[in-house]
Amino acid sequence: MRTALIAFLLFMLTPARADESALQAYAFPPRDDQAREGIRTDALLVIQNGRIVYEHYAAPTGADTPHLTWSVSKSVMATVLGVAYGEDRFKLDDPVATFYPPMTDHPQVRIQDLMHWASGLDWQEDYEYAPLKSSVVAMLYTTGRKDMAGFTAAHVSLAAPGERFLYSSGDSNLLAAALRRMVGAEHYPDYPWTALFQPLGIERAVWERDARGTFVGSSYLYMTARELARIGQLMLDDGRWQGRQLLPADWVEFTRTPFAGAAVEPGEATPGAQWWLNSALAWPDAPSDTFAALGHWGQGLYVLPKQKLVIVRYADDRDGSFQHNTLLRHVLAAFPGEQR
Amino acid sequence: MKRLLLLVLLGLLAWGWSERAALSAFPGILSAYSAKEFCSCRYVMGLDTGYCQAYVKQWLPLSELRDDVPARRVEARGLGRSASAQWLGPREGCRLLP
Repeated sequence: MRTALIAFLLFMLTPARADESALQAYAFPPRDDQAREGIRTDALLVIQNGRIVYEHYAAPTGADTPHLTWSVSKSVMATVLGVAYGEDRFKLDDPVATFYPPMTDHPQVRIQDLMHWASGLDWQEDYEYAPLKSSVVAMLYTTGRKDMAGFTAAHVSLAAPGERFLYSSGDSNLLAAALRRMVGAEHYPDYPWTALFQPLGIERAVWERDARGTFVGSSYLYMTARELARIGQLMLDDGRWQGRQLLPADWVEFTRTPFAGAAVEPGEATPGAQWWLNSALAWPDAPSDTFAALGHWGQGLYVLPKQKLVIVRYADDRDGSFQHNTLLRHVLAAFPGEQR
Repeated sequence: MKRLLLLVLLGLLAWGWSERAALSAFPGILSAYSAKEFCSCRYVMGLDTGYCQAYVKQWLPLSELRDDVPARRVEARGLGRSASAQWLGPREGCRLLP
């Protein structure tokens, strides 16, 4: 009788375990460190209803590693700006030049245009495949590295601001530079910590700066997986953290609204305001309200509001094997939540 | 045949002139990328030297990668250029030196 009961219990428990092991098998296949091919996850953390339901790391990355987030930084900088917005330090239609004088050459560009990656400034966002023409490589490593926002502001205008989406790390660094005058130069170096990280209990964050002291808002934020998940949880809860409205609800709404000037690219997430949206079902196995912060080489913070899921993935993917949709499908199979 | 070669050569020269800013900056990418990202890998992410060497490896080889551990300073040489990155503090991480 007892054996039968145990067998029955095991049978009942097996499906969930099988789904979790499928997730594990997808995210952590045998790692190819020689050719650097295939899916190479460094960290995968799943939070549901505010609790950790799955957590796995590939050495040497661990729970205490502040991992490079690459372009996930942009969405976190937008979250920092959200706190400043709630403090009435700027309005979305303020000209960027009000806060960053080198943009007086482009007086029509507003904060909201930068938020939508729609400054209209010329930009080539390519990494290793076109290093010669890449604006982002020049910005980070050569001609632009001392003053990344200044380097961006010196680009010519190709389109009217606010009309055309063109993914640009330069736009994100203009936002990081504008923040200095919004909050005051003396508060600027500590602002991401005082405004956002400390209220969320984030202690190990590192945010590298250029030689002007401007945060590299586009690329150089480091956090542990658990710390980044707190940003996701804040967004899932519409800007509330432990009963306190840290981000205005209308700011959260703005960041999660699809930008009208973006053409629908098959398989590509839709740009919101420095966040990526699944509104056009670029990831068909995930709900349309899914949103994410995404970075080079597979970094990702995904939020699935109805399922109360926050997912952090750190990786070192050097080819195109990894698929957001497949990861989300596996997570949903293992942790469907109450909505299913 | 000779005229064709001359034409190709002239075309290349014209392209080189039009892209002179990008071309002159190009050799500096390898050393700057390697110095900065190795510094951050070691002193921000706290990962080991062997892992970080593999992490920054590109299809073009570096001629030297020197890690001054007490100073937390990294110098990289490649394509005839060199670059250094310095760890600045627990919140600031690493930055390329001018």
